[in-house]
Amino acid sequence: MPEEPDIELSFRGGRLVSALPIALFIAWAIFQSGILGIGDTTGLVAGMLTGLIVGLLFVRGDWKDYADVIFAGMTRRVAATAVVAWLWAGMFAETIQVGGFVDGLVWAATVLNVGPGLFPAVTFLLAALLATGIGTGYGTAIAFTSLVFPAGLLLGANPVLLFGAILSGAVFGDNLAPVSDTTIVSAVTQDADIGGVVASRVKYAVVAATLAIAAYLVAGFGIPGVWSGMPYVDVAGEVSASVSPWGLVHLLDIAVVIALAVRGRHIIEAVSWGLLLAAAFNLTLGAANLVDVSAGSMLLFSAPQNGLTQAVEALPLLGAVVETVPAGQVGVGGSVYSGAAGFFPLIVLTLLLVAGAEVMRAGGGFDAIQELVIDRVATTVRRAETTMVVGTALVNATVTINTAAEIAIAPYVATLGKRFNINGYRRANILDANTSALGYIFPWGGGLLAGYGAMQGLVGGEATPWFTAEMLVNPASVFPYVFHGWFLVAVFLFAAWTGYGREYVSDRTSEEVSRV
Amino acid sequence: MSRLDKLLAGWTFRTATPTFEPGEVITAYVSERNGDGLTVRIGDSVIRVEDGGGAAVEDKVRLEVTSFDATNHVGTGEVVEVLGPDA
Repeated sequence: MPEEPDIELSFRGGRLVSALPIALFIAWAIFQSGILGIGDTTGLVAGMLTGLIVGLLFVRGDWKDYADVIFAGMTRRVAATAVVAWLWAGMFAETIQVGGFVDGLVWAATVLNVGPGLFPAVTFLLAALLATGIGTGYGTAIAFTSLVFPAGLLLGANPVLLFGAILSGAVFGDNLAPVSDTTIVSAVTQDADIGGVVASRVKYAVVAATLAIAAYLVAGFGIPGVWSGMPYVDVAGEVSASVSPWGLVHLLDIAVVIALAVRGRHIIEAVSWGLLLAAAFNLTLGAANLVDVSAGSMLLFSAPQNGLTQAVEALPLLGAVVETVPAGQVGVGGSVYSGAAGFFPLIVLTLLLVAGAEVMRAGGGFDAIQELVIDRVATTVRRAETTMVVGTALVNATVTINTAAEIAIAPYVATLGKRFNINGYRRANILDANTSALGYIFPWGGGLLAGYGAMQGLVGGEATPWFTAEMLVNPASVFPYVFHGWFLVAVFLFAAWTGYGREYVSDRTSEEVSRV
Repeated sequence: MSRLDKLLAGWTFRTATPTFEPGEVITAYVSERNGDGLTVRIGDSVIRVEDGGGAAVEDKVRLEVTSFDATNHVGTGEVVEVLGPDA
């Protein structure tokens, strides 16, 4: 893709004013999600649009240059790569979910007779497995809170600890999965190949996860004080869920995606193979009546009732994905549709955020902040890495949609890291680990709110009539128990100080970015 | 680099002041530009280049190390090739 020649912008009030669009966006994000508690990504899109318009008013000279800079930002390769990755990963994740994959995991836990003490630790492992496979921590938080959380309560596990374990698993997957949006952003922005980034971050994730499993075992089996200090409702024996093991066949298509990814295939190729395989499994399982899934679960045209549509509905093959409905319910649905559509607001937000970052670059705002940080704070490699860890954590603690926060901080991590020739893999790891962790710890974090939303859906739900509003876990009470998130941040502070896992650019260079 | 090598790379405590041998050719980003000269920081070790050619800050360069003082972690080098900025 040919890049436009770099345009320079001049702002009334100096270089730092070029940060106004992004600064306004961050303020908007804190107000909307932090203060008002609204986790609506499209609302953040409105915030970024507002920021870009306000920024225009401060431009000296031709406003057309500002418009050109926005275009230059939106057409950057980093934006296109993220968009493609999200669309493919979204379709894949949704397709294995309609194929009963989560049910399969619940079945396994039930068959293995996992008790209340062990349940949080096992939930952490299973959530981590799912999140690593499907690459979406939000999706995992939603799926596990909807399905595994009630199963855990029925077994007598502690609700707060269990919710913390689910969020920890989401952190693990967001951090490690090759198809995770945050993994992709971290690799693309630090000019490293995704396969190499994933391989190089195992050494941090394993250390943090080992500590987290130990912590969930200790807390689960009830050290006095941890156990007694947490709210607990006894609903054991209320209902026993009957779930099918067959969704576990989707472990195979997840394995195919991971294997192709590790072999360095392009993300479109790797995930397309996984998606085709998952669809084939779904059709087979559905036809054999083993899982409640059909072609219509993956793609469904709900057409208004008339002679033509009823004729199409009656056709063989094509009729399987067409149904006729009353006029008010017309639309397209299914996992391929909703999996991709779920990312639309985030895609638009990303394009606009990249445009905002470009405005800041063209106006000299990045240079101004970098000079300050590099000259005053990050004077040694240890201090530079610590600044990268703390800076990423702080931005993620304030901007609650973690992918958006990651995109905003990524250019700083790149520049600061390159100044000390810190390897692209290491930079991507510092960026992604702290992004993944913080988005699930604080009560206003997008991942936590996604899971909490699913928990609210349990109240009076058909499958969970015993779940009442009093049993909801307060989002503000769960943060100490997101053990994997805390340990991951701690591992990176330790690594920055001691040099654990540190690599320099001169040690090895990363491969082509577009490889998974 | 094989998959296993990628997985096993970096499981060590790497020093903040790496050392280099004269004659060694390394790839690195330019940290600072001072007039015609360049400063390349690898961790807290510094390699100075007198004639930086057309290389700018954040450009990747291939660099031949011409001398290195392992006590003070300071050395000199010459640009072999300017690879340019990342995409």
